Amino acid sequence: MAKQAKILEELANEKYKYGFITDIEADTVPLGLNEDIIRLISTKKNEPQWLLEWRLKAYRHWLTMTEPHWAKLNFEPVDFQALRYYAAPKQKVRPKNLNEVDPSLLETYNKLGIPLKEQEALAGVVAVDAVFDSVSVATTYRAKLKEQGIIFCSISEAIKEHPDLVQKYLGSVVPYTDNFYACLNSAVFTDGSFVFIPKGVRCPMELSTYFRINAKGTGQFERTLIIAEDDSYVSYLEGCTAPQRDENQLHAAIVEIVVLNNAEVKYSTVQNWYPGDENGKGGVYNFVTKRAACRGANSKISWTQVETGSAITWKYPSCVLQGDNSIGEFYSVAITHHHQQADTGTKMIHLGRNTRSKIISKGISAGYSNQTYRGLVDVAKQANGARNYSQCDSLLIGSTCGSHTVPYVRNRNKSAILEHEATTSKISDEQLFYCQQRGIGAEEAVGLIVSGFCKEVMQNLPMEFAIEAAKLINISLEGSVG
Amino acid sequence: MVEDNHNITLWGEDIPWLFGLREKGRQTTKAIGLPNAKTEAWKYSHFAPTILDTYHIDTTPHHCDENCHCHDEKASTPFAAYYIKFCNGKLANEHFDLPAGVTIKSLVEAIFDGDAKAYLGKSFDLEKFPFAALNTAYLEQGVMLTVERGTVLDRPILLHYHQHYGTPQINHLRNIFVLENRSKATIIEYFTAESNAEYFNNLVNEIYVREAAQLQHYVWQNEAVAARHVALTSVEVRKDGTYNCFCAQSECVLARHESYIRLQQEGAAAEVNGVYRLMHSGVSDITTNIAHLAPHTVSNQLVKGVVGGAAKGVFQGQIHIAPDAQQTEGYQLHRALILSDDAEVDAKPELEIFADDVKCSHGNTCGDLDAEQLFYMQSRGIDLETAKQLLIEAHINEAFEKINDNNVKTWLKKNF
Amino acid sequence: MVLLKIENLTAGVAQKEIIKNFSLTINAGEVHAIMGPNGAGKSTLSYVLAGKSDYEVTSGKAWLNGQDLLQMKPEERANAGLFLSMQYPVAIPGVSVSNFLKHAVNAKRKYAGLPELDAAEFLKLLRSAAKELGISAEMLKREINVGFSGGEKKRMEILQMSLLKPQLAILDEADSGLDIDALRVVAEGVNKLRTADNALLIITHHNDLLDLIKPDFVHIYADGHIVRSGDANLALELEQSGYKSFLEEV
Repeated sequence: MAKQAKILEELANEKYKYGFITDIEADTVPLGLNEDIIRLISTKKNEPQWLLEWRLKAYRHWLTMTEPHWAKLNFEPVDFQALRYYAAPKQKVRPKNLNEVDPSLLETYNKLGIPLKEQEALAGVVAVDAVFDSVSVATTYRAKLKEQGIIFCSISEAIKEHPDLVQKYLGSVVPYTDNFYACLNSAVFTDGSFVFIPKGVRCPMELSTYFRINAKGTGQFERTLIIAEDDSYVSYLEGCTAPQRDENQLHAAIVEIVVLNNAEVKYSTVQNWYPGDENGKGGVYNFVTKRAACRGANSKISWTQVETGSAITWKYPSCVLQGDNSIGEFYSVAITHHHQQADTGTKMIHLGRNTRSKIISKGISAGYSNQTYRGLVDVAKQANGARNYSQCDSLLIGSTCGSHTVPYVRNRNKSAILEHEATTSKISDEQLFYCQQRGIGAEEAVGLIVSGFCKEVMQNLPMEFAIEAAKLINISLEGSVG
Repeated sequence: MVEDNHNITLWGEDIPWLFGLREKGRQTTKAIGLPNAKTEAWKYSHFAPTILDTYHIDTTPHHCDENCHCHDEKASTPFAAYYIKFCNGKLANEHFDLPAGVTIKSLVEAIFDGDAKAYLGKSFDLEKFPFAALNTAYLEQGVMLTVERGTVLDRPILLHYHQHYGTPQINHLRNIFVLENRSKATIIEYFTAESNAEYFNNLVNEIYVREAAQLQHYVWQNEAVAARHVALTSVEVRKDGTYNCFCAQSECVLARHESYIRLQQEGAAAEVNGVYRLMHSGVSDITTNIAHLAPHTVSNQLVKGVVGGAAKGVFQGQIHIAPDAQQTEGYQLHRALILSDDAEVDAKPELEIFADDVKCSHGNTCGDLDAEQLFYMQSRGIDLETAKQLLIEAHINEAFEKINDNNVKTWLKKNF
Repeated sequence: MVLLKIENLTAGVAQKEIIKNFSLTINAGEVHAIMGPNGAGKSTLSYVLAGKSDYEVTSGKAWLNGQDLLQMKPEERANAGLFLSMQYPVAIPGVSVSNFLKHAVNAKRKYAGLPELDAAEFLKLLRSAAKELGISAEMLKREINVGFSGGEKKRMEILQMSLLKPQLAILDEADSGLDIDALRVVAEGVNKLRTADNALLIITHHNDLLDLIKPDFVHIYADGHIVRSGDANLALELEQSGYKSFLEEV
């Protein structure tokens, strides 16, 4: 163990490589939060009256709420009045095509490895919506998608161009009363992605949104809404980074997904928000509410997440399995290092008959980090034939980190079969020695063993993402034993 | 509840430390109240606090007629034991027939002699345990049992608690068990009642297992159907000591067995196993919190449950592994059968781990009887009801096999 | 040419001396067998030579090809040509045989200053080596040593040996848990890999493997060092009279 520690320590402690700041003039609102700020945001965004009213209702409700404290997280309380709730790169009009986008923004995304120029964007397999601070700056391949009736645009545009759809589904999966952060988001959300897959359409390419926090002292509150009509399919990818800053940045997003009869949505996230430095200074507070409603019969939602970023993660992508025979899946790899803290997991709510869910969670803690898997499997009385299989494995690297598992299981139906397994272990000296004896260096061996540990989750990621994620895991663990 | 009974006079109010302890119990109860839906440890088994108002504390001395169960020493178990009898929440023994190396005193006597002071209320925080706080406010009834260094008991000590009339009554019972170094004992707690009795047993055991001592602790909550039973067993285990517990819960309104175990020094080990079977409408709750505070400590849990009717089975198990508690092992398994449409099973097997060189796992399953197995048995000519019974028995027996004492195993298997 | 030279090596684990004043020289082209009763610390010798971290060398020296072996990290020893076929190869869940071996082969190539193999080149190499040993392509996709039978594990060790082409291979109880057919496969595999430039050190406590891989030298090991050395006949002698007679001799 001492040897393992030493070798790992010797490794170059590669710094967070997305930590640069883009120097771009921003259009912002004053600091703090009140009804006037909300009105100002709404005016800036040229929103319809109903949405402003909905925001205000959410805001008034939020004032009655208090921050949740049940998670195993320890952090300085957020001063919500010291934040800025809107920041947008200054541009006179919304760009009509990529040539009109500020070149420094395109450069930013290039640096992040997200080419927005369509001809470069992975030869047409991925369409990208790029969200920079509070607004969406570019969406690629829209015309091509439109031919099949697929709508992929920023939610701001959707509010203007498809108000009926937005009004019908916004808040229908995550109501503004749901929780403290979701309520705040409902009051102040600025942008995000909107996806609509019409009946019978299989989306021909991966849809991807790339979130970037840039402006200082700004909270990012994006909101994503995905609707998959009957018999449709879409695979959606989400990536996130933020610059390296000493203060904590707040990110409180909502993702709502509606899945109708026989439809399937695959939602993959590689979350790499700035995690803070090795002493725990700075980093993103990530308080996210993600929920999918499998409303239709035989519908399916699959969440796959690779979480390596954020100082604080509070996130439970959930599945409400309403439709008979609907399926919910949650595959998660979470890696925490240094002083990161993550409290993450999922909720599987079985309401329909013969609904099935599967949870595979792999947690890796290193350094002084703490990680909690928190999950709920709830089977309602009428959910005949419900099935759940949960597996939560934790790997500890070093003796100063913590790993916790808190699964809640509630079963009110006798025909349901629920299974839960969890293990906690470390990389054994024997495994490490075996690799080394075959000539594989210790750091490479740790990477190999960890990726083996995560395999079941990683193989659910789309190819391009999986490679990125595998690299990210190795980088996140460098210098991990102290 | 506390306010209502303020005029109750308990023994020893003139002993300052005892008064202080009870006062702390009263204040804590006042401050934290009784558990509600938001009390994490009582998430699935809390009940309306007003229910407690229907019970009263009986301050009259022990009194019962000669037909009472408590006079018939041999009735309790088919094997020899040292008997301690409680009748309607009152210690009923006039004397204890004990071998050398074992002392049993009533709690009052142990307090009076100064034996209890070092142990009473020393093993847990009142704030974390609402009913134990309430118990502390009214502690008076119970025993203190001490097994001297190196003493190995030849037969079990059986504490038989019997309730034989129906006035709704609450019994706050408090015991202290001290097993000195290298001693070895088996303690059985057996709860029975007349079938129509209505009462609330609120029990707290404080157990101290010293170096290399071994305690086998068997609990059978065979209460009346209308009864409520809430018990906290708080255990400290020192170097190489062993605490093994087996709890069986039968039908009643609420049966809760909560273990709070601290493995304080190297080599300490604990097991909490159990079975519950409720076929009507009650709640059965096995909650454990095992803290591994030193290296090379081991814990094991196996709980098997069966619920039918509108009953609810609850299993909450927390394994906590402190930093530096390296090379520890903690295993936890809960399996439940749900046999009816209105039954419910709630489980929360929890791991909290702060050391890396550990082996921990937990598992939880629940579901109905296996249709394939039933069909297989039917195809061999066994009728459906018999087949079901066979499978249920097999399910429960796996937990009974964890009982080390053959007499106890046979007795429980036969009568449960 | 001297491949391995061990001089007065004393080593152990957890402050307990197991290897005591041990010396041995192995030249290229030779097959040596170390025989000793169970529990004599034969595996400790192989772990010390391979550099397992729990084992501590208190005195003595060892050279591999003239390089100071004891100063090297385990992976450097491996890349310098030392291979240890383990008695109980460990399972690494989630890591496939081919992925594992790709890392190992490329680590060795990198060490030797050769370009790394890409996936296609490596797979070609792996498949042909596997075919030689009668290992199916399906087997190469499995997670390494996870759920492998005793025979499968040992065959996998030989496959690795054939890919890594060590100069000195130590076979630690390579026959344990094998039936006679599996033993033959292992022995044939090892014999095929023998050249005039490499050497074998077989650690075993009975003769079965030595009937199939003929040793040039046999050493009887007891109480931490070699108590007697001889040719292949010594193994037969040992089989007839047992360890006890040799131990009494000392």
